[in-house]
Amino acid sequence: MQTLISRRRVVTGSTAAMLGTAFVPRFAYASDPINIGSLTPNTGGGAPYGGNMAAAIKRTVDQINAAGGVLNRQIKLTQEDGETNPETATRAADKLINVNQVIAILGTWASSVTLGIMPKCQSANVIQMCVSSSSDIPLRDTKGLVFNFQILNPVWGRALGQLALERGYKRFKLMALNNDFTKSILDGFVDAVGAGRLLEKPFYYNANQASYKSEVSHLLEGNPDAVFIPGYVTDFTAIYKDIYRSGYKGRVITVTFAASAPFKAAVGDAAEGILHGYPIPPLDSPAYKQYLREAGLEDNGQIQHPYGTLCRDQISVLALAIQKAGSIDVDKVKKAIVDVSTGPGKKTVYNVLDGLKAIRAGEEINYSGAGSPVEFDSHRQTVDRDVQLYEIKGGKDVVLTTRKG
Amino acid sequence: MLAYFVAMATYAGFFMILAQGLNLQWGMTGMVNFGVAGFYALGAYSGAILSTRIGIAPELAIALAGVAAGVAGLVVSLLTMRLREDYFAIVTLGFGEIVRLFALNEDWLTEGPRGLRIPARPFDFGLSNAVYSLVYLGVVALVVLVIYAICERIRSGPYGRTLRAIREDDVVAGVLGKNVLRFRVQAFVLGSVFMGVAGALFAHYIQNISPDTFMPMIAIFIWMSVIVGGYGNNKGLLLGAGIVIFILEGSRFLGDFTSIVTSQQLSSIRIILIGIILMAVLRFRPRGLIPEPKFMSEFEKTS
Amino acid sequence: MMGQMIVNGVVTAALIAPPAVAFSMLFGILRFPNFAIGGYITVGVFTGYAANVLFGLPLWAASLAAMLAGAAVVWASDRIIFRPMRTSSPVTLLVVSIALTFVLEHTVRLVFGADVRGFDLPLERPLVFGGMHITRPQLYLMGASLLVVIVTHFLLTRTRIGKAMRAMADNSQLAEVRGIRSVLVRVMVTLYCGALLGLSGVSAGLDLVIEPLLGWGLTIPIIAAAILGGIGSVYGAMLGAVLVGLAEEFATLILPSSYKIGVGFAMITILLLLRPYGLLGQPEIKK
Repeated sequence: MQTLISRRRVVTGSTAAMLGTAFVPRFAYASDPINIGSLTPNTGGGAPYGGNMAAAIKRTVDQINAAGGVLNRQIKLTQEDGETNPETATRAADKLINVNQVIAILGTWASSVTLGIMPKCQSANVIQMCVSSSSDIPLRDTKGLVFNFQILNPVWGRALGQLALERGYKRFKLMALNNDFTKSILDGFVDAVGAGRLLEKPFYYNANQASYKSEVSHLLEGNPDAVFIPGYVTDFTAIYKDIYRSGYKGRVITVTFAASAPFKAAVGDAAEGILHGYPIPPLDSPAYKQYLREAGLEDNGQIQHPYGTLCRDQISVLALAIQKAGSIDVDKVKKAIVDVSTGPGKKTVYNVLDGLKAIRAGEEINYSGAGSPVEFDSHRQTVDRDVQLYEIKGGKDVVLTTRKG
Repeated sequence: MLAYFVAMATYAGFFMILAQGLNLQWGMTGMVNFGVAGFYALGAYSGAILSTRIGIAPELAIALAGVAAGVAGLVVSLLTMRLREDYFAIVTLGFGEIVRLFALNEDWLTEGPRGLRIPARPFDFGLSNAVYSLVYLGVVALVVLVIYAICERIRSGPYGRTLRAIREDDVVAGVLGKNVLRFRVQAFVLGSVFMGVAGALFAHYIQNISPDTFMPMIAIFIWMSVIVGGYGNNKGLLLGAGIVIFILEGSRFLGDFTSIVTSQQLSSIRIILIGIILMAVLRFRPRGLIPEPKFMSEFEKTS
Repeated sequence: MMGQMIVNGVVTAALIAPPAVAFSMLFGILRFPNFAIGGYITVGVFTGYAANVLFGLPLWAASLAAMLAGAAVVWASDRIIFRPMRTSSPVTLLVVSIALTFVLEHTVRLVFGADVRGFDLPLERPLVFGGMHITRPQLYLMGASLLVVIVTHFLLTRTRIGKAMRAMADNSQLAEVRGIRSVLVRVMVTLYCGALLGLSGVSAGLDLVIEPLLGWGLTIPIIAAAILGGIGSVYGAMLGAVLVGLAEEFATLILPSSYKIGVGFAMITILLLLRPYGLLGQPEIKK
């Protein structure tokens, strides 16, 4: 039975016809697998996160397929490496789109990669699910195809700023990794503490430097009460070692994915007292707990795999949306993505298999994930999530408070 | 599948233009430019800024991007022309990094790490996407051919002989009355113009560029194209650029047939494989797949 | 503040001086800029990590393991790749060395994954002198680095093998005519430089963070130091390292820190324009 002809196939067909070659468009049949691609940062700067991300997507697809698939069709997952480099990622996206004929590309991390493959995805009508929160993403997504699972949330930086004020700190210094995402978090922090409390304008550093000592000396000059450093785990670890070795006694504040479990393992007891915050995956959420089991991790009171959890949510929401839409027609699926994840008065589900069952039973569902509750706004950004704040005590992330988004 | 080959052929076209520019600089005159990514970026950003910010017709912007890169090439070559080749390599590599840092830090002009979106479509006559991608490939192929013709003409003419004489031994060439400096600067500038045009064509093709797009890695791949193809030989390096794209992208298909290793392990294996293939080609065909036909000198082999 | 910047610069210099010496010596004998130093350093640091954290050896033993691994990898890569290719142009060899870096970095990645790691050594609070602070491991690092430079200089000037090395670096054909066994010298140099690079990996892991891209980030400052000092000069490489270290520190006074990685390049360019053979280098006789 002929279910649908994707636009891409029509295009390929007509191109072929135009060239005068004997090319017969192949139609999709009900038994054909559903093609989905992932483009995670397996190598390059994002590599500390990429492995978990790719593995989380793979695991979830295997679960879905083992349970009979979606719409009685298996998911065929093709995983490519974005290399954290838009130049090569674009060519990988070309392969996913044109060879593997995917309907969606999941797991892009660096904003430059998400934005870099966007023109190709838009023209081929392919859904993108990303964890890279450049504020430009919704502006450039004219077709409504890009779903951002990482919030770009002024609340995030603001919550950390408020916490710092409540702790009685009055004089701050800030530096951030030079990218769009950390800059937005920085803005929220400045907003909360007030620009007047900054000893100096925030400044930026690059990843992969041979030394961060001059930046650290500069940051600690004037002995601020607290310093805020949004970055990623690799650069933050090197920077934090230098901060500690400078004898700084003030408070260090950062974002959770910089102070992740490998960071604590690398610096040991010196991590004591760091404040950090992250938009909730509530540590006690059933979805998060299930993720830990699936990934074979111990529930050790720390936030683990911050991007892996979000990728589990991406593939879960996509599968649920396909089931809900009843077809792989991208225009229907993209509407269903919001439908299965957002809005009150629906049955909350914490994993994809329960969700699929509920949809088949005709129920309205709201997927709440391992990395976030997954609620989208009209720009397909995950909306102001609650932010949870932590202090590292005895090698663990101790929850201090939760701020409402 | 067809659309994929069209896209890969287009990328190969950009590599070919870059490789021809580099061949003019290195293969013919011996100037070791490791700043290919910088000239590529300069062309891409100036083309993109001219067409999207200033609103110049994109076709003209692409040509002007060549001029911009050429001017940069003039400055770089005048400053560094007297350095020996390995130092020249490192200074030009630095030029490439400084261009990238400029693009990263000067938000007001380049949008910084957010990257620049380029909605302007050159050579667009209201075509459908599929047809447009073919038209674009045609344009890129045409540019490759025109540059090929220019390079061939240079290679076989008296000018080419002079350049090669400089490459083999600039002291002798200087003694013979050739104005070595002028010839080298001219060759370097022309090569930079080609790289600038490639950058602008690339930027308008992928429609979104950011500083991360122009990592020094591109320079390495272009170098590999020229060396794999056989330097000094224009046909060979077209083949070389094609082969490099084939190795880079063909290796992605490994993943479609295996599921024993994780995605991340597979990515590492792929890059190890790319490295080994390139080393093997250079090890066993040190003068490339198609060596420069005549003019092979003992000097090259022993230096 | 000024004093602290000098301390910072010297610590960075202590980190990059030994690998700069190694780069410089390899350049002298192999006759091309070997960009795979980053890959060798990465192999060294992960070997040290495995010995220290996975096998529980003390840090000195782990450093020894890293030196052995570095020596083995540099020697093997020369034996398998560079020596058979010695008639190729330096530029071809340079490109090959970058391909080798891919292979080394990603082999490490394949074995260890991409997570950041640290040695089993608690971080220390600093000693403070007159407002300047420095930690004990940083002092050790500076001492070890200085020792490496002095020992290397002694080896090159006072021992027979060292003199043979220098003769080969000056003019390999003449050296062979005079009966110097070039293969033996080459083996000795690769082993020695490999050990230095392996050790540098451990220092880099202590100072920064253990991850597969660690060596790549250090490559340019190391090469900058070697070239600034003048290829072939051991004290030159140390001086170059100090200059690079200080320049990166003081650059942040006049430039936004995000331009910092451009400083090394800018310095090389300016210096090479003024002194085309580096600070302590000798002009090469044109063949």
